[in-house]
Amino acid sequence: MTRIMRIAVRDYLAYVRTIGFWLSIVLMPVGMSVFGFASTMMDRSSPAPAVAVVDFTGGRYAHALRQAFAAAEPQERPAALLVPAAGGPFPDPATATARLKPLVASRGGAPGSLDAAVIIRPSGDGVAIDLWTRNAADPSLERAVRLAAGDELRRERLEKAGVNAAQLKAIDALKPQITAYSPKAAGERVSLRDKLPGLAGFAMGILLWMVVFTGAGMLLNSVIEEKSSRILEVMLTSASVPEIMTGKILGVAAVTATVLAVWLTLAATVLSLQFPDVAADLASILFTGGMIGYLLLFFVGGYLMFATLYVTVGAFCETTREAQTLLGPMMILLSLPVAFMSQAITHPDSPLLETLSWVPIFTPFMMAARAASDPPAWEVAGTAALMFATTALELWVAGPAFKSGALSTGRFELKVFFASLVRRQT
Amino acid sequence: MGPAAVVLEGVTKRYGGFTAVDDLSFQAAAGRILGFLGPNGAGKTSSIRMMLGLIAPTSGRISVLGEPDASKVRARIGFLPEERGLYRRMTPVSAIAFLASLKGMAPAEARRRARSLLEEQGLGAAMDRQIRSLSKGMAQKVQLLSALAHEPDLVILDEPFSGLDPVNQQSLEAIIRKLADRGATVIFSTHVMQHAERLCDHVVLLAGGRKVFDGSVAEARGAAPRTLVLEGPFDPAAVSDLPGLEGLASEAADGGGVRVTAALRAGAPAQDVLKAAFAKGLDIQRFELKEPHLHDAFIVLTQGAPA
Repeated sequence: MTRIMRIAVRDYLAYVRTIGFWLSIVLMPVGMSVFGFASTMMDRSSPAPAVAVVDFTGGRYAHALRQAFAAAEPQERPAALLVPAAGGPFPDPATATARLKPLVASRGGAPGSLDAAVIIRPSGDGVAIDLWTRNAADPSLERAVRLAAGDELRRERLEKAGVNAAQLKAIDALKPQITAYSPKAAGERVSLRDKLPGLAGFAMGILLWMVVFTGAGMLLNSVIEEKSSRILEVMLTSASVPEIMTGKILGVAAVTATVLAVWLTLAATVLSLQFPDVAADLASILFTGGMIGYLLLFFVGGYLMFATLYVTVGAFCETTREAQTLLGPMMILLSLPVAFMSQAITHPDSPLLETLSWVPIFTPFMMAARAASDPPAWEVAGTAALMFATTALELWVAGPAFKSGALSTGRFELKVFFASLVRRQT
Repeated sequence: MGPAAVVLEGVTKRYGGFTAVDDLSFQAAAGRILGFLGPNGAGKTSSIRMMLGLIAPTSGRISVLGEPDASKVRARIGFLPEERGLYRRMTPVSAIAFLASLKGMAPAEARRRARSLLEEQGLGAAMDRQIRSLSKGMAQKVQLLSALAHEPDLVILDEPFSGLDPVNQQSLEAIIRKLADRGATVIFSTHVMQHAERLCDHVVLLAGGRKVFDGSVAEARGAAPRTLVLEGPFDPAAVSDLPGLEGLASEAADGGGVRVTAALRAGAPAQDVLKAAFAKGLDIQRFELKEPHLHDAFIVLTQGAPA
């Protein structure tokens, strides 16, 4: 046990003393914040597009668009800025198009240039709208025009049918009152609190995926460094293979746990300051009824299962390049459970997910994501036992493979790797 | 010879169809220095790995410090591998202390010991620098110290002199002698015979995975013939008739005349050759008997061994 701890502490300190460790602690929250606010920041930093509206229906639709584009609050940016159509009024839509099209095509910022031009003309019982825009990739303006013009068209028709403005307003305000109930929900009425277990399980699954993803690289590099510099050979004369493997796995686990502790503390602080009710509900869900224990069981088991595999593979690699070639297929394998995890939020009782929970590489992710469905105790115990048994089996067969790989100096050969796993001898 | 620290009996190691070590038996006496000699590929590293318990023999029996399994006496063994390296970003003190702590030393004691060893070996100024900033010789010395910090009873060094400059080689020889003086058993492999000749009480010579010699350095030297050098203005053909000589080679001597070099047959007295030369009236200006070195014995003993 002492040797395991000493190996773990050395590996932990080796990582904690690197710049990369501190960058990963700081950059992830910054990155998440930037990711979260990127859309808002983009909107705020770019000016509202200048749009000219030419309405050949009498001005009703131009008015509707002006209202739709206006900002809801004085401090908000309007969806678009309506500007007079240079050279107007125009005798007909064709002339308007001919005059405005060059202004839309001209460089942004040039005098009289437009970001978009909207030309509205009568068409049969309704209207036809031509939208000329500089930024064809942005569908937001077209969407806003479609909604505003559609509303106005509907309003016009209803007025013609005898519905007055007050009645129209009252009709628009009509909304059904829907209340969701579930026998599993507290008080039978479904609230955000009832959705939190599913979200917490999903978040734990994603967290595990991130830990395995980042920890895999660290474990591989750590073993490769020791193997290529022949330190591993010296260590094998000082400690047993399970001690070295366990020490390394725990060392990297402590590194990722430190990073996670900082991130989670930060997230909990932000959540409790911004959404105190949600934070209280989440804490209550996690710390009552054994939910935190359930999630930790599969988190720890999953980490150990994947970490053991990575340490063994690392022992067979001489260089990081060799490891990279192996990491690719392993990451694809690791990505498979993620595809099913999001489904588990809405369909935790799906038979497919229940079946996948019994496949060891899926177990930790599926069971974490299915936390909301409150799987039966026998299923929790059975899948957990299978997961830990797989880890034990991995250790049993991988131990000699690790030793064999650590003492070899050749390139990684799949044949040799599997032969050492199968023969389980040095 | 005292009690054996390491005993190998009929040890064989095969990798698939290749036999790396074939029926190897020898004993390393406790508190003595044993040279484990042989050309590259002779099976030295495989034998060392079997002694350390890193790989299992295909057949045969190994006992290390009285135990059939070296892993049970790990804490009493120090090992320096042939290919060396340390954690490049660690300091010498931390690296030595870490490896000593794996051998059971308390971390604080291990650090104290590391500092004292580094000071002793003239590396005091470098003890808190990262290993990557040290010279190759300094780094090798740090690694050697990391194998010795826990004061092992058995020290196994695989090619410890390779890559060291003459000054550091001399310093390593002094360390090895000091270990033996302290009572530790030292086994080191090398293919440079001068070190073994100067240091070893006992040598085991391997070639092609087989033991070709096991005994003292003096006994090993006995396996090679003594060499006789005769110089003078005489006909080289006349020398070939002298008793006890074989493998004659002649060349022009620096000061004129010829120099004949010949191997003296085992047991043949050199003075008989000299007497016979005078009896034949040869003008002998130089007569030198050269005792064989371990290097000569190495060549003789490994010749004809399977590659």
